[in-house]
Amino acid sequence: MPLLTFLGFLLVPFIGGFFMIVLKDPDLARSLGLISTKAQIMAGTADWPTFLGLLAQAAAVGGLILFGFIGSWVFGREYSDRTVKDLLALPTPRFSLVLAKFTVVVAWSALLTGVIYLIGLGVGAAVGLPATSADVFWQGTRTVIITTGLTILLVTPVAFFASAGRGYLPPMGFAILTVILAQIVAAAGWGEYFPWSVPALNAGMAGPAYAQLGVFSYLIVVLTSLLGTIATFGWWTFADQV
Amino acid sequence: MTEAIKTDNLGKQFGDVTAVDDLSLRVRRGEIYAFLGLNGAGKTTTIRMLLGMIKPTVGEAQVLGTKIRLGRKNPWRAVGYLVETANAYPELTVRENLEAVRRLRPGTSPQAVERVITQLGLASYADRRAGTLSTGNAQRLGLAKALMHQPELLILDEPVSGLDPAGIVEIRELLLDLVRKQGVTIFMSSHILGEVARLADRIGIIHQGRLIQELDVAELERNRRQWLVVQARNREAAHGVLVDNGYSAELAAQNRIKIAGRQAIERPDEVATRLVKAGHAPTMLAVEQEDLEQYFLRLIGLENREKNEPNRARHLG
Repeated sequence: MPLLTFLGFLLVPFIGGFFMIVLKDPDLARSLGLISTKAQIMAGTADWPTFLGLLAQAAAVGGLILFGFIGSWVFGREYSDRTVKDLLALPTPRFSLVLAKFTVVVAWSALLTGVIYLIGLGVGAAVGLPATSADVFWQGTRTVIITTGLTILLVTPVAFFASAGRGYLPPMGFAILTVILAQIVAAAGWGEYFPWSVPALNAGMAGPAYAQLGVFSYLIVVLTSLLGTIATFGWWTFADQV
Repeated sequence: MTEAIKTDNLGKQFGDVTAVDDLSLRVRRGEIYAFLGLNGAGKTTTIRMLLGMIKPTVGEAQVLGTKIRLGRKNPWRAVGYLVETANAYPELTVRENLEAVRRLRPGTSPQAVERVITQLGLASYADRRAGTLSTGNAQRLGLAKALMHQPELLILDEPVSGLDPAGIVEIRELLLDLVRKQGVTIFMSSHILGEVARLADRIGIIHQGRLIQELDVAELERNRRQWLVVQARNREAAHGVLVDNGYSAELAAQNRIKIAGRQAIERPDEVATRLVKAGHAPTMLAVEQEDLEQYFLRLIGLENREKNEPNRARHLG
């Protein structure tokens, strides 16, 4: 699972780098036809702000799925492999077990994004994006960090669905559903009130005009996360484990 | 505190289904208590309630003097358990699985892993992934996890399930050894009656969620029915002689005559003498005892179903 998620996420900087090459070289873009058109739509121009924006958007949309899969696996596997019963009557409190699982999910997701971001910087340099100021780098990095943080916060409901659904499939279905709903709700213009749309809006997916979110948007992400956390801890502590 | 497990009017309802009803158990320290019942009788639900995995609808349970509540961390330091089938992380080796369990039980020495690997005969599988183990070896791994921290109380759900005959004997000896030498208490569920008879000090019989009988092995011996079985060349004539002599004899399967009552069981020589005098000397004479399976089925009221099955099969055939 760690290797699979790494390989899955590793595509992001290389796809981003490919788009940058396409945008930098119009002849190649023309020779590629449709793909170059798509690259234009997605990325705009071949520079560092665009490239870092792409990474942040990947963290928002890809992260919802990938971090959701990590959460599904860490919590759901205990039910799918039927090992959960071995964790329920131990001198180690269930609270500590759930906390340890959340720690792994957060650390794993953050580390994955960090590594992918660093590889992204290497790819950006390798494709020869024009030099830019430290401030631009800082702004881009800040967006990636905040977007990743928001996306990671939204893993807690996935953990609850993995526990209450007793396996990987219900939470994975939930993660995919949230990505689809996030797109629809954002397209309808209500994205800032829908927690699963907030990371993508924060990453500038709907354009810079929509990236300036109010405190409320961040607050509903935190509240959703808190709800997922309480529900997961509550489930592991108080629900019948049949 | 002499009781390792104590339940008072324990009950669990799942919607309209009563899984366990008004269960009051006492398991004394240092004994092997077998919980006997058919599949779905409520054995596993009871075990899960004892382990704090399921909240009782009514009543309460105490394990090693601690009242069980969902999610509490006591008294599990001194309890080892195996619930239903033994499962392990499939991609980890046997040793890695045991190491993971050791870390979840603080205070368990690192040497404990190798000790249980040897104790359960898992040495040649120690570096094999758990997902590739046979059912029997997976069961051994499950037992190794339960035994690793040298618990005072073992709660085992069908402990010999999946083991081959040699494995059953080996695990039985191991469990008996733990009780005799270390004073461990064992509460085990089973539907393998022969195994229970060889292992348990006391037996609780559960049927449709209710404890219908609790008895020790000596009581069980006393309660099991006995009869004298006779075979003769002319079965009908021999049967007539026995009935004429006041015996409660009946014709039975396999060309046999079954005689109930102490008079026949305690004095089979008299039966033989009467048959010889009447010219129908017995070709076989033996005292037979109801086996555990028959006793169990009689107790839960399924004896007739068992009896009728062959006839029904014949009719259908």
